[in-house]
Amino acid sequence: MSLAFLAPQAALLGLFIGLPVLAHLAKQVPRTRREFGAMLLLQRVVKRLRRRRRVKDLPLLLLRVAMIACIAAAAMGPQLSWPGGTPKFGGSGRVVFVIDRSLSMGLSDGGSTLLARARDEASTRLRTLPEGTLVGVVTFADHATRLSPSLTADTARLADRLATIEPSFGRSNLRDGLLEARRMLGGEKGEVVVFSDEAGPGTIAAATNEIRLLVESGSAVVPVPIFADPPRNIAVLSATYGDGDEGGLLSLRVGSYGPNPVEAACEVTLPDGQVIPVFADVPAAGEVAERLTVPPEAQGGVGKAWCEDKDLTADDTRYFHLPRVGASRVLVIDGDPGDSPTKSEVYFLERALAPWGGIRGGIRPDVSTPVGLQALDPEQHSVVFLANVADPRAAGPALVDFVRRGGSVVIGMGDNVTADRYDESLGPILPAQLRKTRDLADPAEAGIALVLPDTTHPLFAPFLRGGRGAFTKVRAHRVMTVDPYEDSEDVTTLLRWEGGVPALIERKVGSGRVLLWTSTFDLGWTNLPLQSAYMPLVQRMVAYLGAETGGGEGRLDAIVDEVVGVPLPDLAMDPTVVGPDGTPFRSHLEGSQLLFTPDRPGAYTITVPDAPALAYVAVNTAPTESDVRRFEGLAAVEQELVPELFRVRVDLSAWLLAAALLFAVLQALVALARPEPELIGAGEAT
Amino acid sequence: MFDPVVLSRVRHLHLTARILTDSLMMGEHRSRRIGQAVEFADYQEYMPGMDLRHLDWRVLARTDKLVVKRFVTETELPCTVVLDLSGDLGTGDTGKSTLPDLKGSKTGTAITLAATLLYFLERHGEPIGLEIVAGQGVRHTSYRPHSGQNQLRALFLTLASVRAGGVADLSKALIRAGQATRRRSFVTVVSDGMEEPKSWLPALGAFARRGADLTFVHLYDRAEWGLAFSEPAVLFSPEGGEGIAVDPVGARATFEEVARDYVNEVKAGVVRFGGRYLQTPTDGPLEDVLRKIIARSSE
Repeated sequence: MSLAFLAPQAALLGLFIGLPVLAHLAKQVPRTRREFGAMLLLQRVVKRLRRRRRVKDLPLLLLRVAMIACIAAAAMGPQLSWPGGTPKFGGSGRVVFVIDRSLSMGLSDGGSTLLARARDEASTRLRTLPEGTLVGVVTFADHATRLSPSLTADTARLADRLATIEPSFGRSNLRDGLLEARRMLGGEKGEVVVFSDEAGPGTIAAATNEIRLLVESGSAVVPVPIFADPPRNIAVLSATYGDGDEGGLLSLRVGSYGPNPVEAACEVTLPDGQVIPVFADVPAAGEVAERLTVPPEAQGGVGKAWCEDKDLTADDTRYFHLPRVGASRVLVIDGDPGDSPTKSEVYFLERALAPWGGIRGGIRPDVSTPVGLQALDPEQHSVVFLANVADPRAAGPALVDFVRRGGSVVIGMGDNVTADRYDESLGPILPAQLRKTRDLADPAEAGIALVLPDTTHPLFAPFLRGGRGAFTKVRAHRVMTVDPYEDSEDVTTLLRWEGGVPALIERKVGSGRVLLWTSTFDLGWTNLPLQSAYMPLVQRMVAYLGAETGGGEGRLDAIVDEVVGVPLPDLAMDPTVVGPDGTPFRSHLEGSQLLFTPDRPGAYTITVPDAPALAYVAVNTAPTESDVRRFEGLAAVEQELVPELFRVRVDLSAWLLAAALLFAVLQALVALARPEPELIGAGEAT
Repeated sequence: MFDPVVLSRVRHLHLTARILTDSLMMGEHRSRRIGQAVEFADYQEYMPGMDLRHLDWRVLARTDKLVVKRFVTETELPCTVVLDLSGDLGTGDTGKSTLPDLKGSKTGTAITLAATLLYFLERHGEPIGLEIVAGQGVRHTSYRPHSGQNQLRALFLTLASVRAGGVADLSKALIRAGQATRRRSFVTVVSDGMEEPKSWLPALGAFARRGADLTFVHLYDRAEWGLAFSEPAVLFSPEGGEGIAVDPVGARATFEEVARDYVNEVKAGVVRFGGRYLQTPTDGPLEDVLRKIIARSSE
């Protein structure tokens, strides 16, 4: 049996017992008695003093009233509240920490990154949670990830896992983070504590619905903003290659999200290693465009633009595609320089290959006479057009060797072509042996049309979106016939004229290919150059045969943590994704696409054995993630949804009791100083 | 048989009265009687009960004020002293009276004052009377005005015998005295006035209605009104009632305020009801008071 006091401090109230005793002693009546003949006046004095005392004792009265009022009010348990607080957490016993590890959390501030601060803050709060609280941790960037499969009371283990959270190059997908937290809570009530810099436009707005769902389920979102003050970051927002008078122009957009204008020291590194320094004067919280000229000759590939920034380094580099500039990979052999444009194959081929002068597309075809075949350089050219060349015999061995080493040849017919000479010199690589010319129709007539191409073939795949029908408008009145052949693994008939005469035949020779066009590239035998299918067909031929075109599937742009799909021209390929560090990167095939998800910015290359690179992928961080400024607070959004969560509440009971105690002491002191008026005039002299 | 103290008081009163009277009459050649006569004396504001025959119609017509004429009289003037001897008069320490056993008290001063005045008036041949309010130790407290030594002796004996005591009911006493007063009398009220003024001041109108010439002598003890004691004490009235504990130091200022207000209230009331007001401390010279009474001048 034991006796305990719930509020032992209440014993202090016993002190007040002494106060009335003292007051009583002070008010003792004098013993002397005197006869007095002016009692009437004395009675009036009493009345007057009482009137005065009533006024003088008003403070005493007020003190006592205040004391009683305070006690009564304290018993009612009043609460004072005003806007400006933050939701409390830990009360429900179920807490999920949602930690932002997006790119912007890598911002350095005060010697550590925001993510490090978030980890520390989360660890601290983890330790302060009441024992038995079920806790979960979710990290998010582009996607959310759980650190534990479900809520757990093992906070020590979670604390260890908190230390393993690594920064990401991805965007802030707060919505996903909250969604995962809501799933962890399993629809039950809990608190979701969000450690985030809340940076970037639209980050919070995108998560509004998830916040609403959480609060509607009775949960509270407790924002723990962790941000740099002031926020600051310099980033290369874009790098784009475009037209220029000499070579091409590279346009950079450099942004600064700090409070002061800065002069950013930048460097542009081209794929061949050339470095071009640039200084960008960036206004405060703004961006600036810089343009620089790429040298007349530059190797194609993925280049990078970098600006120095000590605060957030992850977005300082932006990768961009640069087509080969200045040196063409296509050689056109003009076998019949015509006396007018309409009688020149080269005239039409040049315009189809380089409709913008060869800069934008990266193709500036080299044009030569058949003599140029003698100096055929596989390092410089990958595709050779033989346009109505009369006698290829002198260059036959070189061409055969060129194809066998991976080069490609497109052979066009014409009046100069002699079948025997071709069969003799290029027989090993021709898709079919040439026989003789054949008139399909009178030159005055429209001629025989092409049949629709098979768009499942990579050469014609782009025409699936449109333009396929244009092929039926291509007509010819004369063609070069070939010896009978069978389509096989190496030989494929890609196009036919109506009636079945082959129009375009492909032959694979090692890693090289040969396309035989049985008509002309000018208006001599066909109307093809005047048809809308002409230019894209020629462009596709070049791209299909592996030369630089500056566009198409060969060059892809992507964002970190987003799935990249690379269409494969041949499913038999064994493509490999090579990461920025030169090592293979994980990928998988899905349908006719090679899929992979880059986890860091850089140049990714899709390679196949014994062949040029299939594609280049320039992977960058999301420009929006570089904006480290806070646009809208999580608290503001939640406050609009549930204003009562954001009120500061103070329980006034304790304060009122303290005030009552104070009033009690004060009134006792006042009463001591002014005893009850049993002794007329006592205390009046003072 | 008379109490030796009484006898001593009689002798003392007689002596004091004679000395004071001689002092008052020094250099006087003519008795100036106040009352109805043919020789105009002065104007007085009309009070209800006054004889309308003496209203000055010319002044009324000129100034619209009601005034009555007063004349020097050559006839007898009935004089009455109304003496308040309630219990409160028995207190006091600073009175100049040397009457045995009444030394210093307001009673002594009041009796001495009344005796001297009666003596003076009797010497001038006026009929004198006495009305004692409260008091104790005497059989008769009301004497109608009569002339002669016997009347004086009877009054002196009464004055010497009476002691302060009992509770005064000033209102009733004054009304009764006023009704008993003969017309155009000379009335002097000696009192401490220690009752609520509103209760007794209107009773003074009874004298005005009888055409009496009224003087109110307000006796007080300077030490009492100054709370001239240092230690806290319980003060109580000889007339009864509960005592009041007083810290004189703290209450003095307020008491003096109250006393001033009270005097002003009584004075205004007396004047309003047609009388003259004379505030008289017990330690002041009685000759001055008597001279003012006789000269019918007020403060």
